[in-house]
Amino acid sequence: MGRITLDKVTKSFGEVQVIPPLDLTIDEGEFVVFVGPSGCGKSTLLRLIAGLEDITSGQIRIDRQDATHVPPAKRGLAMVFQSYALYPHMSVRKNIAFPLKMAKMDPAERDRRVDYAAKVLNLTDYMDRRPGQLSGGQRQRVAIGRAIVREPAAFLFDEPLSNLDAALRVNMRLEISELHNTLKTTMIYVTHDQVEAMTMADKIVVLHAGRIEQVGSPLELYHTPRNTFVAGFIGSPKMNLIEGPEAEKHDAHTIGIRPEHLDTSAESGLWEGRVGVSEHLGSDTFFHVHDTGLAEMLTVRASGEVALRHGDKIFLTPQMDKLHRFDAQGLRIA
Amino acid sequence: MATQHSRAAARFMISPSVLLLLGWMLIPLGMTIYFSLLRYNLLMPGEHPFVGWENYSYFLSDPAFKTALINTLLLVVGVLIITVVGGVLLGLLLDQAMWGQGIVRILVIAPFFVMPTVSALVWKNMFMNPVNGLFAYAAKFLGLQPYDFLSQAPLMSIIGIVSWQWLPFATLILLTAMQSLDQEQLEAAEMDGAGPFSRFFYITVPHLSRAVTVVILIQTIFLLSIFAEILVTTNGGPGNASTNLTYLVYAESLLRFDVGTGSAGGVVAIVLANIVAIFLMRMIGKNLDA
Ligand SMILES: Nc1ncnc2c1ncn2[C@@H]1O[C@H](COP(=O)(O)OP(=O)(O)OP(=O)(O)O)[C@@H](O)[C@H]1O
Ligand SMILES: [Mg+2]
Repeated sequence: MGRITLDKVTKSFGEVQVIPPLDLTIDEGEFVVFVGPSGCGKSTLLRLIAGLEDITSGQIRIDRQDATHVPPAKRGLAMVFQSYALYPHMSVRKNIAFPLKMAKMDPAERDRRVDYAAKVLNLTDYMDRRPGQLSGGQRQRVAIGRAIVREPAAFLFDEPLSNLDAALRVNMRLEISELHNTLKTTMIYVTHDQVEAMTMADKIVVLHAGRIEQVGSPLELYHTPRNTFVAGFIGSPKMNLIEGPEAEKHDAHTIGIRPEHLDTSAESGLWEGRVGVSEHLGSDTFFHVHDTGLAEMLTVRASGEVALRHGDKIFLTPQMDKLHRFDAQGLRIA
Repeated sequence: MATQHSRAAARFMISPSVLLLLGWMLIPLGMTIYFSLLRYNLLMPGEHPFVGWENYSYFLSDPAFKTALINTLLLVVGVLIITVVGGVLLGLLLDQAMWGQGIVRILVIAPFFVMPTVSALVWKNMFMNPVNGLFAYAAKFLGLQPYDFLSQAPLMSIIGIVSWQWLPFATLILLTAMQSLDQEQLEAAEMDGAGPFSRFFYITVPHLSRAVTVVILIQTIFLLSIFAEILVTTNGGPGNASTNLTYLVYAESLLRFDVGTGSAGGVVAIVLANIVAIFLMRMIGKNLDA
């Protein structure tokens, strides 16, 4: 139940190949996050798995069975859309019960499942309202409820939180992780927000122009990014990438150092620069350092409050064991 | 624009047009009501004595009135059913991506631009005519007896002609409503296991309900007063088999020169139209609120 394999899957819209041949295995019970910049094909990949788009070539297997030409309803997958896609003329109860009604399930069992989903998702008080009378977070939960009742082999989420405000997003993130722990069902989650990816995933798939750049656990991607794209995409603030003579000193085309792995000092250090904008978060301070001669700008993360002002001189020293090295093709040098 | 002064100025400036419109509406209405209370027949010159409700009782007790009332309802309801059902089906068809879509859409809309008198004449002479009509020709080709539509089934024929005129309107409104349906809802329903028919009845039809109410409201207003199509095809006949209220009023006042009874009929038609309007507004109000 819930193992999905993509085998040399490609997708073209007319002449344009959006997904070049792609292999991926998603294990039973895993929480997999597809992450990548806008337009890289995350939604397309999810829709291919769901069956809402036909694949151009290759094979999709669900639980070892060829599902390439199986219609969406028969794949046993449930999808939560970015726009929620609730049925506006039906009450919350009817929305959640809709897939069961379509499956011609016996009404008693149907009610039992709907009530269970409502309880899990805290929707019991809203069952007779229309979607239009709910808040964004509640609508999101109804959409999840509609997915849960089918007891699918896997859940597919397409940027489900992007319409919510920041605080609610953090909450729903936790609720979805919690749900995954309760149900232990495979989940595939699409987002362009790397923080969501890092916090929720068992396994992250980084996509770039339809290609998989790297697959791994959040910490694997953080510690050993396979190339400069992943290095720059995972982690916040972004990793500093430095090219030129300084990189050649380390026998590399590009070196990368994360903002949190730069030590600062007012008196001495390896690199010298001038402080630009500082962002004070309370727990941390991010500041931009200019005029180092290494790159346009380096970002530094210091914990706590740092008393540095715009224009101050500053010395930076990278923690050598945390330095990432990449060759001319952008690939990691071990 | 919202200061006291500017509002007063605005009222002052629109007052001529308001007065003109009021006069435009009130004077004919007042005169109709006034005439409806007189014995006023153009064939009997001389006095126009005040007769109270006599014209009304005469008009309402005329057996033609009942027929006309039923015909009016049949005409309105028949055309509404045909145009709404046909409009939904045509809308579904036109919503598909297909070759020559632009031209097909224009062709579908075309009947709406043809004047009622012209389209009724075209139907009468070129399609339904039992000798020269296209239908007669087709029937003869198949070895059947040509059917004289306008004398055998006059009301049905008129319903057909009027439906043909109003189908584009319904199609257009329903097509735009269909195009505004969120595709993700249909995809969600597909994932939920709904087949094409379930998707149509559970998702598309409820989505269309507002557009359908708008179509019904607007068409009813126009269909209650269908006149030209009847005048140029059947003249309300045979007998009064295709006479509706509007045509009856015309027949009373202009064919029999009885201004008094004609006016009474006009007032009755206004009252009936308003009753229908109240019902419709109730229905619309409910449908548009949700
Ligand atoms: N129906 C379509 N026809 C043609 N091209 C399409 C179609 N759908 C998507 N594309 C193209 O495929 C590429 C990937 O689109 P996709 O929607 O998967 O991006 P995404 O990663 O989900 O982006 P976002 O984060 O902005 O949602 C884009 O370049 C897009 O223009
Ligand atoms: Mg997307």
